[in-house]
Amino acid sequence: MEAGSSATIAGRPPLAVPAEESFAELYERCFTRVYGYVASLLRDRSAAEDVTAQAFERAYRKRSSYRPGRGTVEAWLFGIARNAALDELRRRRRHTELDPAREDRTLPGPEEGAELAIRRDVVRAALATLDARERDMVALKFAGGLSNAEIARVLGMTESNAGTRLHRTVTKLRKACDELA
Amino acid sequence: MERDLLAIDDALRDMPRDPDPEVGALQDLALALRSDAPDPDAEFALLMRERVKAGFPQARRRWLPSPQLRSLIPAVGFAGMLLVALSVAVIALPGGGSGGGGDDDEGGAAMLEAAPSDGAGSGGGAVQSMRAAPEAAADSGFVPGRSDRRIERSVALELGAPVDRMERLAEQVTAVTNRLGGFVLSSSLSTGEDSAGGDFDLRIPAARLRPALRELSGLATVRSQSQSGRDVTRQHVTAQDRLRSARAERASLLRRLENATTDAEAEGLRQRLDLVAIEIRGLRARLRDLRLATNYATVTVSLVAEDGDSGAGGIGDAVDDAGKLLVGGAGILIRVLAVALPLGLVALAVWLGGTAWTRRRRESALV
Repeated sequence: MEAGSSATIAGRPPLAVPAEESFAELYERCFTRVYGYVASLLRDRSAAEDVTAQAFERAYRKRSSYRPGRGTVEAWLFGIARNAALDELRRRRRHTELDPAREDRTLPGPEEGAELAIRRDVVRAALATLDARERDMVALKFAGGLSNAEIARVLGMTESNAGTRLHRTVTKLRKACDELA
Repeated sequence: MERDLLAIDDALRDMPRDPDPEVGALQDLALALRSDAPDPDAEFALLMRERVKAGFPQARRRWLPSPQLRSLIPAVGFAGMLLVALSVAVIALPGGGSGGGGDDDEGGAAMLEAAPSDGAGSGGGAVQSMRAAPEAAADSGFVPGRSDRRIERSVALELGAPVDRMERLAEQVTAVTNRLGGFVLSSSLSTGEDSAGGDFDLRIPAARLRPALRELSGLATVRSQSQSGRDVTRQHVTAQDRLRSARAERASLLRRLENATTDAEAEGLRQRLDLVAIEIRGLRARLRDLRLATNYATVTVSLVAEDGDSGAGGIGDAVDDAGKLLVGGAGILIRVLAVALPLGLVALAVWLGGTAWTRRRRESALV
């Protein structure tokens, strides 16, 4: 993920959303993260681009339906993106099983060290051991950069439940990484 | 668990690594996962930025011209549902469609519209009369194919008026009857405070029944009205045929009497002639009664005393009227709710079910 994205996550207030924020500003703030989340879910860059564009267009057309009292604008936007991604998954019957032949990830550059490349492969292999819902959770947290409360809103569960499931998933992932390392 | 989750969030906020090796490893994993998230192509990002700036121009025109109009769809749907509920409720009103009477003028007017509009006494109004009382017509023997139908009509009208107007009203009833060529067969009138009222048994020419009812209804408040019709065409035709036969038999007997050769034969013929004459008289009377009953409609008018004077009414009347209006309005509201609530619940259940089904269908992509 690009550095700008990290800075966005770091500087983003957890819940408050400026009321006067325009859609263009929302787009600039969330585009990379939405794409990262959708691409993590679909594992297909071309499809991820289509679904990301579709999600932002839906959000744009339904922007008047957003109610601040029902969660942050990020949670609302990621809910739309998730629905679009799931519709795409279902339509294409691809599901979320890791398909090495179709996986379309950014390859490590020549400047990237061998150790980093190995670690990345280990993490990806560990991700493959998760089930689809767990990968969805990981994608929302780490690619989407959502807070636990926002994840709970997107997935339709309580915040504590979301935290518990996230902890369980990360613990499972870490064990898998240790075993694969 | 709380500590781990906080440590993950700290790592994602680029805070310093936790000194605990276990927690630090978790933070490393979080950072690795974040850095492994795919980035969009620059070309795609540029294209998207342009589309956002342009407000996502549509490639094709949607079936609705504007988002404002689309936002009206739920309201229009709800209004439509309410309209259906209102229609059903009004139709379901007891006596709301036809008949019934009641103490409102509208009910009387509706009954008047249903009054038969026949032509001469020999027919024309059979269709309307059949519609008014199909059971009676069927019982009395419907004779299909005849245009000169004989219909007996009877109407009962109850008029309400203040006591002080009762006498004047009785005069007006008689005047209307006479003016339209009818007559008062019998009448009674009481103007006492406790038992004010009156009854009129009128005969109105069938051809003028409709204007007569209109005029009589206009004299006072119509409290109730009922009418019936009975098709007696078959009885009329039968009586005519029998009369024709009896006359032919009498002519034959008279001829035979002229040619009678013996006293005994002549006496026998005279006795038979007497019997035939009695039959003829009876049939003629029967025909006369049938003609009278079908040429004139029987109209029974009952005058009923009403409270209050004939003027505009005082505060008490206004309060009474307001109360009646409120009760009537509440009745309609209850009926509308009786229809709208189940419809609304069904619509809600369908909506909830559809939402749950859609959600489950989407989530199935992750299974």
